[in-house]
Amino acid sequence: MAAAQNKVKLFENVLNQEIISLEEIKKLCFSGCPEEASIRATCWKLLLNYIPPETADWKSHLKKQRESYAKFIDELVQNSVENDNDSSTKDHPLNTNPQSDWNQYFKDNEMLCQIDRDCRRLSPGLAFYQYETKYPYGKIFKSNHETNPLRKRLAGIALSAEEIHTNKVGTFQKNKEIKKKAPEQLSDGEEYHWEVVERILFVYTKLNKGQGYVQGMNEVIGPLYYTFATDPDQSGQENAEADTFWCFMNLMSEVRDNFIKSLDESKVGITHKMQQVMEVLEKIDTPLYIYLTKNLEVKPQYFCFRWITVLLTQEFDLPNVVRIWDSLLSHEKRFDFLIYICCAMLKLIRGDILKKDFTAALKTLQVRLY
Amino acid sequence: MAAGPYNYSYIFKYIIIGDMGVGKSCLLHQFTEKKFMADCPHTIGVEFGTRIIEVAGQKIKLQIWDTAGQERFRAVTRSYYRGAAGALMVYDITRRTTYNHLSSWLTDARNLTNPNTVIFLIGNKSDLDAQRDVTYDEAKQFAEENGLMFLECSAKTGENVEDAFLDTAKKIYKNIQDGSLDLNAAESGVQHKPSNGPRGANLGGESSGNKDPCSC
Repeated sequence: MAAAQNKVKLFENVLNQEIISLEEIKKLCFSGCPEEASIRATCWKLLLNYIPPETADWKSHLKKQRESYAKFIDELVQNSVENDNDSSTKDHPLNTNPQSDWNQYFKDNEMLCQIDRDCRRLSPGLAFYQYETKYPYGKIFKSNHETNPLRKRLAGIALSAEEIHTNKVGTFQKNKEIKKKAPEQLSDGEEYHWEVVERILFVYTKLNKGQGYVQGMNEVIGPLYYTFATDPDQSGQENAEADTFWCFMNLMSEVRDNFIKSLDESKVGITHKMQQVMEVLEKIDTPLYIYLTKNLEVKPQYFCFRWITVLLTQEFDLPNVVRIWDSLLSHEKRFDFLIYICCAMLKLIRGDILKKDFTAALKTLQVRLY
Repeated sequence: MAAGPYNYSYIFKYIIIGDMGVGKSCLLHQFTEKKFMADCPHTIGVEFGTRIIEVAGQKIKLQIWDTAGQERFRAVTRSYYRGAAGALMVYDITRRTTYNHLSSWLTDARNLTNPNTVIFLIGNKSDLDAQRDVTYDEAKQFAEENGLMFLECSAKTGENVEDAFLDTAKKIYKNIQDGSLDLNAAESGVQHKPSNGPRGANLGGESSGNKDPCSC
């Protein structure tokens, strides 16, 4: 107990400085942030370069960033072509011009459906995302819509699919399955945490068109949103959406190469990182390395592709993931350090692996939650 | 050869391929656990399942590789095809785009496996007949034109799931019996495990199999 309080004190001493020493924060975070106050949320924002070390600038900086995010929402979520009632525009849904706003709108719908499918099944083991947020769309953004426009848009997509279906088969069966899929248990103005994550990803993808949405981004965003949305500080919690967005942007700028297919075989791509895991393993545990690669012919892409791509979010419970991220975000080599964590994970189960044949070893390697 | 519950004479390697969200992991889960997993998270890279089945009195261990469906992962998932004896190619009967992409999946399956690999086409989500977007007949015709086996299944209710996995195994077994699948050829995807017999390559070095630590 005393030790825990002591730890909080240590953090507070550093965080209460006018200009925070990032070096000291990194040192402290590396052995884990305490749950108290909003220490973790604040530290992560510092570590991800979202807020500056000068504490006096925080207020104005956060205000500016949160306002810019609200502008993105306004432009990309609120004002889509379907809500554009200006009859003077020449654009229309059947416009075949690739530059047409409607053409883009339908392309975005495909991406939105993809994001939607993945966000609904975000961390199924944890109830958090299936709970309502206290700060839904209507409360956070100035808008004449009380409800998240994306929900309406998704419902529209499901509906048009239903219409096509009835035309084709020629019956007028009402479809219950589609209805069930829409988050209708919540009334207008309420929304689930996963819907907030969905909106952040939609905005991120719209702003990073070249990269697009890749499965796994939803997992990477998880620990950030969870940390900010459960921040004991009310203003932090209220602005979790905007803060998560910016921190996610900064985090992705460091790990995005993992998500880009054309870089797979390059020095910065995922294949190289998986090889690094095996190279380090060879040095620190040669017998295990030999058993895996020579005896079993297990390739790193059979197990550590997921570990690296989604930064271990799938291998542990969220509270443990958050703890690992404390170290990962504060280590000076940051994502190179991930390689060593992967090797540590292998070391932990080495005894098990060394006894097993190919099938059983692979199952052990792939099991979630250490 | 000791007779034990975990004894098996062959290992067949399967891969499951197809667009994202068609239910590949759910099919695997239904087959190995006999349960429907409603909130199945999407697959990143590859996941792995096994089950021991019986064909013509022979115990066969299926080693099933469930792959990620999103286009981004294609380059990585291609490395899992090597040495597959069976390929389950899945589309979603309620989403036509997933059916339209079959020819590209088939190209991958043909190019990256051996000529004897049994390819089984599965139209998943047959329980959602009211939302059907691909008819049985057109898929059946596609399968016939391309020499594929075909069934519509439901990972949710379990309908035909067992049959799809078992029929694939029967066909592979038949290919072994009539000699069209050479077990000594590299990458046959089949590993025969008589007490001291020859072994097929590339399934990873399984130990002699008398005691399989995982009782799946």
